[in-house]
Amino acid sequence: MEYKVEAHRIMSISLGKIYNSRVQRGGIKLHKNLLVSLVLRSARQVYLRDYYGGICLSAQQAREWCEGEYMDSEQDKLVPGSKESMPESDGQSEVAVDKQEPSNVVESHAALDVESEASGEQDHAEDGVLDSGCSELKTPEENPEASPTFEVPNGVTTISSNCISGPPPSNPEQATETPNDCQTDGSESVEENSLERTVPQTCTNRKRSADDSELTDSLPKRTKVMSPPLISKNDEKRAETEEMDTSNVSSLITIFGSSFSGLLSSEDGAQPDSEADQDSDSGQICCDQMLKNLNPWSTAIVAF
Amino acid sequence: MLNPIQVLCSDITSLSLEPEPFASYTEADIISTVEFNHTGELLATGDKGGRVVIFQREPECKTEPYSQGEYNVYSTFQSHEPEFDYLKSLEIEEKINKIRWLPQQNAAHFLLSTNDKTIKLWKVSERDKRPEGYNLKDEEGRIKDLSTVTSLQVPVLKPMDLMVEVSPRRVFANAHTYHVNSISVNSDHETYMSADDLRINLWHLGITDRSFNIVDIKPVNMEDLTEVITAAEFHPHHCNLLVYSSSKGTLRLCDMREAALCDKHSKLFEEPEDPSNRSFFSEIISSVSDVKFSHSGRYLLTRDYLTAKVWDLNMENKPLEIYQVHDYLRSKLCSLYENDCIFDKFECAWNGSDSVIMTGAYNNFFRMFDRNTKRDVTLEASRESSKPRAVLKPRRVCQGGKRRKDDISVDSLDFTKKILHTAWHPTENIIAIAATNNLYIFQDKFN
Repeated sequence: MEYKVEAHRIMSISLGKIYNSRVQRGGIKLHKNLLVSLVLRSARQVYLRDYYGGICLSAQQAREWCEGEYMDSEQDKLVPGSKESMPESDGQSEVAVDKQEPSNVVESHAALDVESEASGEQDHAEDGVLDSGCSELKTPEENPEASPTFEVPNGVTTISSNCISGPPPSNPEQATETPNDCQTDGSESVEENSLERTVPQTCTNRKRSADDSELTDSLPKRTKVMSPPLISKNDEKRAETEEMDTSNVSSLITIFGSSFSGLLSSEDGAQPDSEADQDSDSGQICCDQMLKNLNPWSTAIVAF
Repeated sequence: MLNPIQVLCSDITSLSLEPEPFASYTEADIISTVEFNHTGELLATGDKGGRVVIFQREPECKTEPYSQGEYNVYSTFQSHEPEFDYLKSLEIEEKINKIRWLPQQNAAHFLLSTNDKTIKLWKVSERDKRPEGYNLKDEEGRIKDLSTVTSLQVPVLKPMDLMVEVSPRRVFANAHTYHVNSISVNSDHETYMSADDLRINLWHLGITDRSFNIVDIKPVNMEDLTEVITAAEFHPHHCNLLVYSSSKGTLRLCDMREAALCDKHSKLFEEPEDPSNRSFFSEIISSVSDVKFSHSGRYLLTRDYLTAKVWDLNMENKPLEIYQVHDYLRSKLCSLYENDCIFDKFECAWNGSDSVIMTGAYNNFFRMFDRNTKRDVTLEASRESSKPRAVLKPRRVCQGGKRRKDDISVDSLDFTKKILHTAWHPTENIIAIAATNNLYIFQDKFN
């Protein structure tokens, strides 16, 4: 557990260094930023490993509650933390019930849900989703090993578990770029896109929600919350620059997650591919517009 | 060596205008490189403000047998100025990263100095005579009224006060996209190389508009970047061999005869990582900050964050010797990462006979290791301990447990006082230590 805290702290420090390097005199020091990014990667690996371990433990207890809460979460997607919406969406509750059914049904419904919330409501959706209590949103990710324990179909599970919450790609091409985006060991940066300002807010929202609902996984909700691994490391760093509060790092880690998958070992690296494919079908969440315009990492590095 | 070290001269506050011991200094005064020339007569220092100060050793005084020549300021000049790259909107620091002397070929001295982007060749020459007795101009140089000139005379050279003139002879610019970290003059005395994070260029000393790229480790996709070049040096005798170190802790020996582009190394020196020491910061502390050939050309000395290693050119799989410089910091890596100290790039040096190696540490400590006797010593470069003729007292860092008198505990080390740059006289036991803005010169005690 202490490793996780330490890793978290190191990650936030590293992000701070990367940010500061952009404003220091003499330009960005490639060597130093490369080393910082390596530390960031190591810390993240430990953090995720610890987190996955934690999920395993709580998975069993969480399972039943999750199933019960699934209905609520579906309804709550529009209203943060609100449970009143539950009675409103009977149709959705049916969908929720269908969770027990074959995976493709749930999956398609989940996908539809996501798409229906594509524009602008994603933040709220996430909040609602997270607050409903069924989501175990220590934003970082699901444990892929934990997912099989759920009755939720594997398809959904895969989506959730692989999706370490980042905004989905706006188009399939971007999804495939993920592995490259993940290889962000360099440290150059480009001018900030003003649209990025929305990212930290998203992170903040997620984080608050995550803190509120420290419970079980909600894999179907994950589908909505998760976004494909498109955010490059640079995005998170810039998000972090807005709020250096370490409490946001957890949120950032989730965004990170997929974009860093390429830096992880090969078994992790396999996941983003499947996730990317599936996420291209799923809807948009929060800053998809902004992120579509941002391929900053590779651009920055190339420019440098 | 490792005889008690006597202070040759008290610290030369080379860049501080105020003589008081505790005068505050600006960041521009911080010394960033120190280098003896090939005879040891001259010592050059560069600082963050782009200035170069050259010290010259006074001839020995025969009346006082104990008095070795002291180093006094010989010349000061502004080598580099801050620049701005308008295309990238980046400021280019004027900090002098490296100075390298050229072997002396005539009365003048030549040195190369570099900042992040531009290398300059400077000529340092003396003028101690001047012509007098011109026909057309008078003593002050004013043109004479021709009507007053009644006879012709031949101008004669008269002695004058010594004047040291420094002039830029070459400017080698626009060849590096990344920050230049090393320069090294080849043993052929015609070429030199400059290394930045990803590339190494070969120059001819006389040609400034062209350079050859001999090493390029830039990946096609920058996102695949995993290592950078941290230091590079030519072999002292073989003009075709060069070595460069990487941030991954590897050394690569390249032979320029093999190919025009030396991306493929001839030898790779790498020590397998010890898995028991793995931590978040393993990669950082394994990054090599300096590499130096021994004078013999047989060995390589490398410095990473916690150790100094001696490699044999004939053995690639592991170093010959490993010296722990400050292993007590291994448990403090996280704090050192937070305060950026873990990124400090310490340099290392050989003595003239390659029997002793030296490197700096924190708290103004520097360490020397005798390769033959396996003895080592920790000394401090500070004003208090550096009165002229005073003998330096060995210091000790205790890590808890029994603490002797005068020991320093690890927690009370001052990490803002770091000795990154050291130099050893090429033949004698004289060392130059740069401690922030102060330069200390120590020599071996004579009995």
